Amino acid sequence: MKSLRELQETFQRGILAGDDSILAEVNDSAKEQRQVLFGVYRHAYVARLAEILGDDYAQLHAYLGDQAFAKLIKDYIDANPSDQRSARWFGRHLPDFVRKSGTYAKHPELAEIADLEKALADAFDGPDAAPLTIEALAALAPEAWPQLTLKPHPTALRLTFRTNAAEIWQALKEETAPPKPIQLPEPQAIVVWRQDFMARFKPLTAEEAMMWNEAGKGVMFGVLCEMVATFAGEDEAELRAATYLKGWVDMEMLAGFLPG
Amino acid sequence: MISGKPPYLGFGLGLRPQHYREILDGSPAVDWFEIISENYMIEGGQPLYMLDRICERHPVVMHGVSLSIASTAPFDFDYLGALKKLAERVNPKWISDHLCWTGVHGVNLHDLLPIPYTQEALDHVVERVGQVQDFLGRRLTLENVSSYVTFGQSEMTEWEFVSEVAKRADCWLLFDVNNVYVSAFNHGFSTDEFLHGVPRDRVVQFHVAGHSHEESHIIDTHDHPVCPEVWDFYREAVTHFGPVSTMIERDDNIPALAELVDELEHARSIANEVFTGKRLAAAE
Repeated sequence: MKSLRELQETFQRGILAGDDSILAEVNDSAKEQRQVLFGVYRHAYVARLAEILGDDYAQLHAYLGDQAFAKLIKDYIDANPSDQRSARWFGRHLPDFVRKSGTYAKHPELAEIADLEKALADAFDGPDAAPLTIEALAALAPEAWPQLTLKPHPTALRLTFRTNAAEIWQALKEETAPPKPIQLPEPQAIVVWRQDFMARFKPLTAEEAMMWNEAGKGVMFGVLCEMVATFAGEDEAELRAATYLKGWVDMEMLAGFLPG
Repeated sequence: MISGKPPYLGFGLGLRPQHYREILDGSPAVDWFEIISENYMIEGGQPLYMLDRICERHPVVMHGVSLSIASTAPFDFDYLGALKKLAERVNPKWISDHLCWTGVHGVNLHDLLPIPYTQEALDHVVERVGQVQDFLGRRLTLENVSSYVTFGQSEMTEWEFVSEVAKRADCWLLFDVNNVYVSAFNHGFSTDEFLHGVPRDRVVQFHVAGHSHEESHIIDTHDHPVCPEVWDFYREAVTHFGPVSTMIERDDNIPALAELVDELEHARSIANEVFTGKRLAAAE
């Protein structure tokens, strides 16, 4: 008689690897053969994970179509047995899987659409933080502004896209025809974060992206203004920096801060 | 150790994100809610915010799917830690999971897999329940699962196994009415034998749910309304066990809250008929 440990290992191989050794350990029922009954577990494993991936990567699914998406997720499920307590995280390796797999890697927009969907899902239930408010900034003494440091909201994630994946995603989300995939002339900076309870994303201009990246490193506002001035000219550099900052505050992309 | 018997809560529903707003904006006729513990082992955002608001207004119990109490793999103490942390936030009336295993070698098959009903498995589960109860500082509630296969090596019936676990590990039982019905059909045993085979004083919760009938077997899908046969068995269970906190479980094809509240009303009316001795003429 197999030990409990051996029995569970055999059962698991039966589900993951299609190994039929388990059939010697289980019974036919009065109405059905054991192959069919054990098949319920085999089918449920794939069906459950496929449903999760379909929810997590809904626009990638829409972009690829049912058949190609089904093939992709079958390949992914076969290559990545779940090691997570919640199936919520089962699909976390999908963007890299797409990026590194021969067939899919030829279409770089696929991995970037997946990157965006994963980032949005992570922002949705990522850490909470009170957002920085206009009122808090208004209360700041003028002489304190140059030393002001900013803190991105803890859900904020910076992505860099080389294709028009964000535009494709947006069109699919709105159920309109997506544009043809193209390589962008310059990489596009994107920030994903959560505002209220909604995960969002925003493409940044090159200058805004530079200021966002430096702000995230803890560079003081006075220095950020100087960096903006050297990036695209001294004319109204402070105004440009203040405009970016106001946009981030309005969209709750920054977490509250302690002056000084 | 929190060891007193959990209170009778009445009639509850599984908390599902589709219903957050309706629950908070209205006063649905739902006495309590059950959460899937793993869905709230997250860092923040809307799910935890809504959970906190619902906990302020309703009794909540925690129901897990990944404890894997019968697995021969070592316990995942990160998971147990997250479960304990969530319990500190929710202050649940009880914590339940399933009498099953979900994987070995670090794999989670995200399914409630069957146990051979052997002395070896019994000793193993009893020891593990004790470890979890010590870690959580409270008694665990374990649910019988639906199963599709039985093992050649089993030495006892499912209800004997369930009863021995409850008595020896000193834990509570969640009697899933639908799962007993499903497994009885699949394996050809009598639902009555199961009903009368488990210790009455250990049962603290009922689950009632819908399933998918595949002619030769039934699959526990939780995606349909409860069928008449399961309602009949629920009536028998209420008659036998007395007042036990009852919950409708729906995990797929989730309808509007009002539809589930109607189903819950049906459970309530069956229980009322049993408790008052008055069976409504229409139900005859």
